[in-house]
Amino acid sequence: MFEIHEGAAVQIVAVSKHFGGATVLDNINFDVAQGEIVVLLGASGSGKTTILRIIAGLEMPDLGRILLHGKDVTQLPARERGAGVIFQNYALFPKMTVAKNIGYGLRLRRRPRKDIRAKIDELIELVHLEEHRDKYPSQLSGGKQQRVAIARALAYEPEVLLFDEPFGALDAQIRTRLRKEIRELLKKINVPSIFITHDQEEALELADRIAVLHEGVIEQIATPFEVYMQPSTEYVATFLGAANIITGYIDHRCFRCEDISVDLEDDMRIPNGQAAKLVVRPEDVFLRKAENLTQKYQPLTDGIIDEVSFVGAFERIAVRLAFIHDERLIVTRPKTETAVFPLSVGQKVPVGVVRFRVLPDNTREPVARVSAARK
Amino acid sequence: MDVLLAAVNLAACLPGPTTGNGQGVVITLYGFSIMKEPLEKAIFPAFAAKWRAEHGVNVSFITSFAGSETVTNQILQGAPADVAILAIERDADKLVQGGATKDDWRSRPNGGIVNKTPFIILVRKDDPKQISDFPDLGKPGIQIIHPDPTSSGGAQWSILAIYGSELEKSQAKTGTQDPARAQNLLASIWRNVISTPGSAREARTGFETGYGDALITYELEGLSMKQAGDPIDIVVPKATIYSEHPAVMIDRNMSAEKRSVVEAFVDYLWSDEAQQAFVKYHFRSVTNETFNDANPEFAKIEMPFTVQLFGGWDKAYPDIIQNIFVNQVKSK
Amino acid sequence: MSANVSGVKHTRGFDVIKPLSIGVMVAVMLPLVLLPLASIFIFGTSKGLPSFWHALVEPEAIFALKLSFVTSFWATLFNIIFGLFAAYILSRYTFWGRNAIIVIISIPTAIPTAVAGFALLLLWGPYGLLGRFLPLDMQIMFTPYAIILANIFVTFPLAFGVIMPVLETMSRSLEEASATMGASRWQTFWHVTLPSLRGAIVGGALLTFARAVGEFGSTILVSGNLAGRTQTAPLYIFSKFNEGQVEAANAVAIVLALFSFVIFSVLFFARDWLEAD
Repeated sequence: MFEIHEGAAVQIVAVSKHFGGATVLDNINFDVAQGEIVVLLGASGSGKTTILRIIAGLEMPDLGRILLHGKDVTQLPARERGAGVIFQNYALFPKMTVAKNIGYGLRLRRRPRKDIRAKIDELIELVHLEEHRDKYPSQLSGGKQQRVAIARALAYEPEVLLFDEPFGALDAQIRTRLRKEIRELLKKINVPSIFITHDQEEALELADRIAVLHEGVIEQIATPFEVYMQPSTEYVATFLGAANIITGYIDHRCFRCEDISVDLEDDMRIPNGQAAKLVVRPEDVFLRKAENLTQKYQPLTDGIIDEVSFVGAFERIAVRLAFIHDERLIVTRPKTETAVFPLSVGQKVPVGVVRFRVLPDNTREPVARVSAARK
Repeated sequence: MDVLLAAVNLAACLPGPTTGNGQGVVITLYGFSIMKEPLEKAIFPAFAAKWRAEHGVNVSFITSFAGSETVTNQILQGAPADVAILAIERDADKLVQGGATKDDWRSRPNGGIVNKTPFIILVRKDDPKQISDFPDLGKPGIQIIHPDPTSSGGAQWSILAIYGSELEKSQAKTGTQDPARAQNLLASIWRNVISTPGSAREARTGFETGYGDALITYELEGLSMKQAGDPIDIVVPKATIYSEHPAVMIDRNMSAEKRSVVEAFVDYLWSDEAQQAFVKYHFRSVTNETFNDANPEFAKIEMPFTVQLFGGWDKAYPDIIQNIFVNQVKSK
Repeated sequence: MSANVSGVKHTRGFDVIKPLSIGVMVAVMLPLVLLPLASIFIFGTSKGLPSFWHALVEPEAIFALKLSFVTSFWATLFNIIFGLFAAYILSRYTFWGRNAIIVIISIPTAIPTAVAGFALLLLWGPYGLLGRFLPLDMQIMFTPYAIILANIFVTFPLAFGVIMPVLETMSRSLEEASATMGASRWQTFWHVTLPSLRGAIVGGALLTFARAVGEFGSTILVSGNLAGRTQTAPLYIFSKFNEGQVEAANAVAIVLALFSFVIFSVLFFARDWLEAD
């Protein structure tokens, strides 16, 4: 059986869903606390839309339960759940004005007209759409339409807000501004919210916690910092931010691959002989000796610069390591570095890392005998 | 039930009927198109007045007019007729055979025929092509519009008129009928036919708009066209057929009291008033030739005959129309 | 040497194709559509307006027009409601036989109207498959109700055909949004789906109504053509023509032609509003 978590506004318990022969969701479990923003991050086909629709009540799970504020709503149809859904295209009713759209939920619940008016006014003020209250959705820009959609969902005090890729239709500039505004707004009203997106930057900026979805399974659910800095699987590592992966094995608290030997951190507990992968982000790779570096530095090996690209705020360098023939290590360097230590193609450089993760690789057999460390 | 129906009618906002209203007996009459005027303008009011005076009961009429064949088929499909006046006896027989009525209509006066009109030839004003009788229609260079006998009763009358006229003439001359002569005339006339529309009405319209030199049609058609001022002349053939129009009572599902009124109405059609009314509207009376003589517009027909010349429609249709005309004349 | 190019005015060469093709189009339309329509009006007013008016106010003529409009109204109302209902179900639900039903609904347009009338007679006539069980005073055939029935049959696919595509292409998320906000299926239909169908419903209704008013082939069979009782306007025109009373037929024909003209003008000029989302 399962237990009800006190204080959890939304509880998703062991939800599974199959379509045809394929498994879309496999044993999904997570909570959302009151006022918390959880972002479900994943590529298309990961199942994130399905989980959102199941929470909303637009689809039924094959297994599992949904609880809203402690109440089991799995069997309830969408209209009885009290979830507020902001659709990808906002789904504003085209023949109703902004004010009428917002008041829809309350009109359905037959609230007194005075109360409805008051609530509409309150919400219009909240989302700063005073001048537009009598306009029709087709007369509004995408960003304003989104605000109407949010106000509309908030009108009837929903148990949870569900956002389906809300920023997809907007220009990049508006997106960043809106993300901030939405987050501030949500924090202000203290309603639990679930976003789904495939944009990792969006997830990092919006979320209190991110759940990374991959082929119907949550690979990791943690704060943006944890998910970025301490990815628990290779997929999470590569999905959020760029990552260089080096395959090797563990040898006595040391990651080894060819002539690379990196000491494991204390908190990395991986058994001896286990096949493993070294995950290091481009910004954590340094192409010079350890002097003057403030962070803890571990040398890797030597490499030859293959490509140098100028990408505005930083420089991207591709470094060919001696033994990795097909792929190159991707390194980024901020302007401060490039100015002081310019590099050019063909140059031979030492390669070292300041931060890294080592993840067990269960796709390969452990190494039975460990050879002696090589220098 | 009546109240319910009335309520439904009212709720449906259907417009009130213009005929057959009021208390009393309502008689539904289906007839072929050209019967409409004499019935509605003269005979219905006269009968209703008479009946009210004699019995104190109102009589009103509901009517439906179309081609004779259409009317027949409507009644066979169940149209609510009490009386049918048709253009051709075959249609009346169809009604009996089809089970629409058991009425023995032939037992009424004049064998059930209420009025008649002879077939004549309409030509352009002042007869530029010098047509004086049927044989002239066979001359080369004459163009005729003639409806299709397979679909038009009027066309069948016309064929019988042409064929029969030769039989009569040959009989008068030699003492025996000469079918070969008749068939030859039919063939030569048919060679001059330039168009065969589906009904007599359409043929008339064609002629009116200027096609053809001659039209073989009912006398009353010609008379009403002349009355309307059309530039045509009527040529009365020496020998021609009378188109006879039967009246049939449709007695299925008729109550006894209604039956007596309907019977009285049908009988009324042979009354002097009714017959004179028919004459006024260009039909010829069947009961009294003096009525016809009194009408100056009726020309005298030397050798009139009816379908009885061929032994009735039972013989005329298969023998003349189907056998001689369709199989022999038309196919050439 | 400097070439002064600022004063050169650029004009396109004379394009003869444009007026030529417009002319050809009008020339084709003239004998096929424009002239026949014009001739009705020319003939109808040729004997003077009083004569036209006189022919028009005959009780039977007025009755025929009224009957046509009233029976067409009811047929249209039924077909709009049922067409809406059927389109909604067929676009929202999948079930075995769905495609067959869509085809069946569309069949009446392919059937000659006379066949439709005949079929109704075979079913509901006094000797019909079902009609024979009806008591005499509740017979449907040869009454105005038969006309309504025939009109419903013949125009059945029209409203449906206009409404269905709109429902099919309508975004489901609108209805889902309404559901998540607490609306029952009926409330969603009434507040969200129906307003978006406004244009299709009006357009479909006008089309159905115009078609029903002009219906002849089935009406002449099922109505019994009783003058002043079950004679619709097209039947009236036909009967008058058969009786040789061409002015009377023409007067009513003019009214029907004007009526169609008005309907289709409305459909045309309001089409933006009708298609507005």
